[in-house]
Amino acid sequence: MKDQTTATPELTLERVNTPPAQTWNYLRANDITLTVPQLSRKGDVYFALPRLFEGIECGVGPQATAWVVSQAADARYVEVRAGERKAEPIVVDVDANDGDVHDVGIMVRAGAEACVVVNVHGTDGEPATSGALVRIIAERGAKIRVLEFVAAGSAQQHVESVGIQAAQDARVSVRQYFLCAGTLVAGIATSLDGDGARIDHACRYLVREREVADINHVVRQRGRNTRADVRETGVLDGHAKKALRATIDLVHGSKGSEGTELESVLMLSDDVTNKTVPTILCDEDDVSGNHGASIGPVGPEQFQYLRDRGLTQQEAEALYVRALFDEALIAAPTPEVRANVLARARMVLGDDVANDLVEGLGLNEEGA
Amino acid sequence: MTPRTGGRKLCGADELVFYDITASFEERTIFTDILKKTAERVFIPLTVGGGINTLDDFARVLACGADITEDSADKRSLAGIFLSYQAPVEVPGVPLYSYLRTITQKRPELKMTARKFRARVGEIAEQLDMDSSFITRELNVGFSGGEKKKIEMLQLLLLQPKLAILDETDSGLDVDALSVVSRGIEAYRASCDGALLIITHNTRILERLSVDHTHVMVRGRLVAEGPGSLIDDIDAHGFEQFEVAAQAAGA
Amino acid sequence: MSEKTQKRTQVADVDRSLYDFIYSEEGYERYDDGLTPDIVRAISAKKDEPEWMLNMRLAALETYHTKEMAPNWGPSIAGLDMDHISTYVSPKTKQAKSWDDVPDDIKNTFERLGIPEAERESLAGVGAQYDSEIVYHNMREEVSKEGVVYTTIEDALHDPQWEPVVRKYFGTLIPPADHKFAALHYAVWSGGSFVYVPEGVTVAYPLQSYFRLNAEGAGQFEHTLIIVEKGADLHFIEGCSAPKYYEANLHAGAVELFVKDGARLRYSTIENWSKNMYNLNTKRARVAADAKMEWVSGSFGSHVSYLYPTTILQGDRSSCEFTGITFAGATQDLDTGCKVILNGANTTASVDTKSISKDGGCNTFRSSVVIGRHAQNARASVSCQSLMLDDISRSDTIPAMDVRNATASVGHEATIGRISDDTVLYLMSRGCSEAEARTMVVGGFANPVSKELPLEYAVEMNNLIKLEMEGAIG
Repeated sequence: MKDQTTATPELTLERVNTPPAQTWNYLRANDITLTVPQLSRKGDVYFALPRLFEGIECGVGPQATAWVVSQAADARYVEVRAGERKAEPIVVDVDANDGDVHDVGIMVRAGAEACVVVNVHGTDGEPATSGALVRIIAERGAKIRVLEFVAAGSAQQHVESVGIQAAQDARVSVRQYFLCAGTLVAGIATSLDGDGARIDHACRYLVREREVADINHVVRQRGRNTRADVRETGVLDGHAKKALRATIDLVHGSKGSEGTELESVLMLSDDVTNKTVPTILCDEDDVSGNHGASIGPVGPEQFQYLRDRGLTQQEAEALYVRALFDEALIAAPTPEVRANVLARARMVLGDDVANDLVEGLGLNEEGA
Repeated sequence: MTPRTGGRKLCGADELVFYDITASFEERTIFTDILKKTAERVFIPLTVGGGINTLDDFARVLACGADITEDSADKRSLAGIFLSYQAPVEVPGVPLYSYLRTITQKRPELKMTARKFRARVGEIAEQLDMDSSFITRELNVGFSGGEKKKIEMLQLLLLQPKLAILDETDSGLDVDALSVVSRGIEAYRASCDGALLIITHNTRILERLSVDHTHVMVRGRLVAEGPGSLIDDIDAHGFEQFEVAAQAAGA
Repeated sequence: MSEKTQKRTQVADVDRSLYDFIYSEEGYERYDDGLTPDIVRAISAKKDEPEWMLNMRLAALETYHTKEMAPNWGPSIAGLDMDHISTYVSPKTKQAKSWDDVPDDIKNTFERLGIPEAERESLAGVGAQYDSEIVYHNMREEVSKEGVVYTTIEDALHDPQWEPVVRKYFGTLIPPADHKFAALHYAVWSGGSFVYVPEGVTVAYPLQSYFRLNAEGAGQFEHTLIIVEKGADLHFIEGCSAPKYYEANLHAGAVELFVKDGARLRYSTIENWSKNMYNLNTKRARVAADAKMEWVSGSFGSHVSYLYPTTILQGDRSSCEFTGITFAGATQDLDTGCKVILNGANTTASVDTKSISKDGGCNTFRSSVVIGRHAQNARASVSCQSLMLDDISRSDTIPAMDVRNATASVGHEATIGRISDDTVLYLMSRGCSEAEARTMVVGGFANPVSKELPLEYAVEMNNLIKLEMEGAIG
């Protein structure tokens, strides 16, 4: 579907990535509006997910989620049997050049372990809109790892939506590496329904040039003694625009729960716009909710330390960018993902540094 | 504490120790006097350039990292002077690996392939009893005090500075962490041709080291100096004698 | 025991009846409920205003009727029926310069609130508003000798020297079209204060305005306009209270503060409206180069509050500090916080807020820090702590940060939690009852705010906390 220029019908999605509680509308930080193509890829008979997936709250909100569902030719359902330790990751490969759209539902049965990998790759010059919707039900004691890598082209937009329901003692681990896209809209909502359910979530982003990243993180802590640990670390350069909305919702009944969210944003250019809305909603007393954000240049203490080890300001800044790629490469679970990260590293850091990353991490050229 | 014997070289000096019992004392220009005296006997790269041209520069070095407006901290570092932090700073968003690779790449004398670098870091980590998973964790973030000191020692051994200044590196460490620091210092002495300047409040860290010169400071004054054996004297008789001497001198 | 301590003990023994008494409004001039151009004209005519003011009122009324409230916004104000709010209620008295000239019931009100006493002891001047009109206004002679002006806006408008000044500043910082209730305010405003501190003058003691809304089903719409000229220094205190009714009351005041180069203004508020009050108040300060704005804000009363004092740090090196506490108990839904806009280079802002929720009360802390494109090296820090005293209350924290300068840095931290059992047990093991222990911990939590207040007001605030904590153990 490469040639979808003027003839493609379009749809405007409003209030995408809206958090549960909003701030002043004039700040224009509450949501994003997105124009997306409306294609009909579905046949007369197509596969839809079991109904119970419909009840899962997804990060980008109902409108954008419905759009992804409508655009995927078929939904894909994966079930991991009780107690199974699935070694191979469940891969969702999104070719942003082709405007791929995926609708995936994963049922991780009691005590099972699984890993899902979303790999979004695209190159400059091909305008397209892609989407990935991953809904996960983690039953009692299940362990699920979610790894997302996004590196789409500067003319492309990508909608990345995740919804997770975690039952008692389920463990959710999320690692996001947003190496970015023309416009990235990424939302993830996790509901820690069962007692003792946990999420450990790290999001790394690099937004440069004229890229836009709009991120919405929601954790609903419903069960007793749940834990949420959410950390976002990002670098903004060029004319980048980034918004992060992060909500910890301590729902009535979540006694003994703790939620923490911390963001640190490095701003490398005066032309960037950073919006951060970190929200704690609390309807319980025996809980603890924490938020922290630091936004600005390399912190004075950090900078002094790095200088004392021989780095100039520019080198210190470059270190933060390189670090992001090092981390993404270390986390990359498949050769395809490594190739995707490396291609972006070559573009951003140049061949010398990229080669150094490959060699230093003991990878073969192009990731194998 | 038992006085230590043996293992102390009095010639071929490459190490110097300060007893800094007034860490909070602001006027540290006294160090320049000590350095001037000591530089006559000990190799200290005072003339290596890179911002360390005068003793004033050095005085600022000794203010230990607190001087944020100092423009040449990076040059000082590249000139071969390593300043160990009492409380190493947490740097979220930067894994130890990326950091170490970047700071080594800045030094032409340490040029090596990424593969060799990784092996080298592995060696040092083993020497210091460090778990290899440290390398992918964010620099100093969430590390215990002892682990942070290990990372400082790892850098000391990796960068091989000509002069390493350890300003109260031993403060607040438990016995195990202290032995890591000692091990790091020993390994540095064994592998590097450089000088160490140790500023400390207690002699524990020195037990396994051979010290060449000792200076005792009380409230910003140099009250005694001598060979390494002066430490044994302090162990045996305590600091009080110096404080009395300082009072007498001040009166 | 000295006389002073005795007095403080008296204040410490305060009970609810301090705020909860009603005097008859019989014989008062009360305008019809609802909002029509006729009512607006009547208010304006009674005040014998210049024409520009009447025009401003009428335009604002138009704006009020056309402006919608955002649908995704804050606590519900559905209980507020403007058709049943009287926008103008005037006590039958002229403004007095001596308490002896104030009618007995009104004088008694302020006596019971301790205002004349505070005036004698620690204030440079006092204004007291009863419903829609100022009933008492006075300032120490030595302060007026220095050229300080402290009067009502109505009086300033009748003074040829000050009318142009009011005209120049009035409604410029908070434009009538700012939001629906700002428009309402400008349509029907009445009472409030005009303060002018000339260049270089330091007012040694605070000025205080006290607002009392006695009438039922009425609104209070006072306007405060303060201009602190270059290098001058002022502390202004605002207090407010009302007796409890079963019908909704509305407070929609506006406070416009102009802090000129190198000046300092501290604006302290102890707000204790009754719990049938909709407190939709707008406060804004514009701060010039090297000047400093300090807010101290204690919010205890009202049924619903929307309160976000805004500081615009326009001048280079200007700064602001905001220290606030909000206490939400049963039937209260308080949406409070602040906004800071950093436009100048090397500006600094520091926000420190606390909130306490109990008995099903709802607290929302809402803030925004906006760092403009040209705010080189601007620094902002926001710290917000919320205390939950039971599991039927609610506390939300919604800060927003918008940063557009790479040399600026913003730090934010927020925590929500409850009083630790260990602390209570420790205090109980030292002989405190559980209730005392909890009150003590809450008092300690509020301490950073009360220590910013003059002693008398800190005492009042601590008493309010004690009052609110009564029966906190179910």
